[in-house]
Amino acid sequence: MSEQIREQVSAFLDGELPSSETELLLKRLTRDVDLRESFGRYALIGEILRGTESGVGRYPLSRGFAAGVNAAINGEAAPGGSPSIQARAPRWWRPVAGAAVAAGVAAVAVVALQQRTVAPSVRTVVPVMAQNVAQSVAKPKEALSYTVPAVAPADESPPMLPAARLTSYVFAHSRYSSVLGQSNVLSGLLADADEQAPPDSRAVELPAVNRTVGNDAAPPRSSRDPRIAP
Amino acid sequence: MRNALRYRAAWLLPYAAAGVLTFSLVQRSIAADDPRAWLDKMNQALATRNYDGTFFHLSEGRVETMRIVHRVKAGLVTERLQSLDGSGREFVRNHDELTCFLPDQHTVLVEPRQVRGPFLGSLPRFGSDVDQFYLIESLPDSHVLGRPARVIAVNPKDQYRFGYRLWLDQKTAMPLKSQLCDARGQVIEQILFARLEMPETIADADLAPAVRTEGMRWVRQGASEDTAVPALSAYRASELPPGFHLTVSGTQTLGGATVPAAHLVYSDGLATVSVFVEATPAVNSEANDSTGSPPEPPMQGLARVGSGFAFSTVVQGHQVTAVGEVPAQTVESIAHSVKSFGASPSR
Repeated sequence: MSEQIREQVSAFLDGELPSSETELLLKRLTRDVDLRESFGRYALIGEILRGTESGVGRYPLSRGFAAGVNAAINGEAAPGGSPSIQARAPRWWRPVAGAAVAAGVAAVAVVALQQRTVAPSVRTVVPVMAQNVAQSVAKPKEALSYTVPAVAPADESPPMLPAARLTSYVFAHSRYSSVLGQSNVLSGLLADADEQAPPDSRAVELPAVNRTVGNDAAPPRSSRDPRIAP
Repeated sequence: MRNALRYRAAWLLPYAAAGVLTFSLVQRSIAADDPRAWLDKMNQALATRNYDGTFFHLSEGRVETMRIVHRVKAGLVTERLQSLDGSGREFVRNHDELTCFLPDQHTVLVEPRQVRGPFLGSLPRFGSDVDQFYLIESLPDSHVLGRPARVIAVNPKDQYRFGYRLWLDQKTAMPLKSQLCDARGQVIEQILFARLEMPETIADADLAPAVRTEGMRWVRQGASEDTAVPALSAYRASELPPGFHLTVSGTQTLGGATVPAAHLVYSDGLATVSVFVEATPAVNSEANDSTGSPPEPPMQGLARVGSGFAFSTVVQGHQVTAVGEVPAQTVESIAHSVKSFGASPSR
């Protein structure tokens, strides 16, 4: 990233870039993949710096943040390095299995609509990560009547979440997702399209109809409060 | 007599109006600093304004550029979300349909009866139950796009949900920037506007998809006509993270699927998780035979989807998948807890 663009990006992130220049920067970013990556890193650094000096950062700086800064700076020195992706991700995303999975983490973020049922699917997350989840869950802040179920062991059969199926799920879910969340979900769906894939030949045309809304829909035997369910 | 009454009362009108105005002004000054009032204003702006903007979607160091166009005309909302980075993907929502154009996949996905809020989102009105799980507060004012902005934080109180930080335009309450954060305040995802216009009118052309749909496959997904799936409708989560409760349940057939799925929606008032329950291919081999394709193996594991996660597992011969813009542990624990409460749960 040239010094001039760096300054532009910096001014933009501070909310101080004139709109004419913003327009220009936007055009550049739309065209240039590498610049977008640098921009992403830079935005992160900016966020962290801002976080430390403004009220927005009243949250304590966690190790994750520090790691994020380091990774972002390292990434800036060596663009395209996957380590930065790994380190920047919150703990449960951080894969243990190295670069291949790191690519997967970045890619899974988006659920490209792909038919990759078999595939050495990069777009699934290895169970190893589930262990990380277990660790982060280990010390819940408040002890409530809820217990986190045991996580599948790492040697269980490999996870299979075909992207095409996932897309259908996410699409159906987006209707009901909290609307703020919906923007994130849908933007995520839109975002990735790096790889081409053949269309799903099994798709069927289906009519729309009934869906019950509200608690009336609960089946007779089930309890509305799952915690007191049999 | 009636006329006389009406006539006599008419002189009161200006006073009544002034009274209402004064009252609302007082109300307003009281509420002005209430972060919830700002969230309501944002809701209002997102739902009722015309806007045309370009924003960056930052996630894990990746940046995507997108354009959003939102028009309210004669009470009907039309909205278009478009990727500007080359994939050509687009979403177009009109008052009763959400259409997803995926030119890279030669596919168009249609979800009928889209009754939800706008793409850029709005928050539901907060009930007191939300207070139990989120802390809503104002942060010091800031600037975005050179405009003064109010900063509102919606912080999760535990690790089962994500939070938001919102930079709202002082003038219009439009979100100029928003961040999705985890319970520790770490930013997971960010939406940042580079340009935002709020024109009086928006031309139809700005809302028409740029995608050429000739030769593309149309996939319509929606509620299933087949309501006779008692085995499916008996499934529920038996244990939920605090605050989550069932809000919607139904049966639908998803795009590309051969068997109907139960769709359950759990919400804590802000975050939502969808649970899909389907018979695994082995259980319903007939349906697979008719398509001529080999049965898919059951899915298992965790995947990132947008800002959230999906977790899939097999329960009593059924594929159970939980999806939501929540931390991984939330979808995992919900999926694991799903079981049938029916008399004959699995066949």
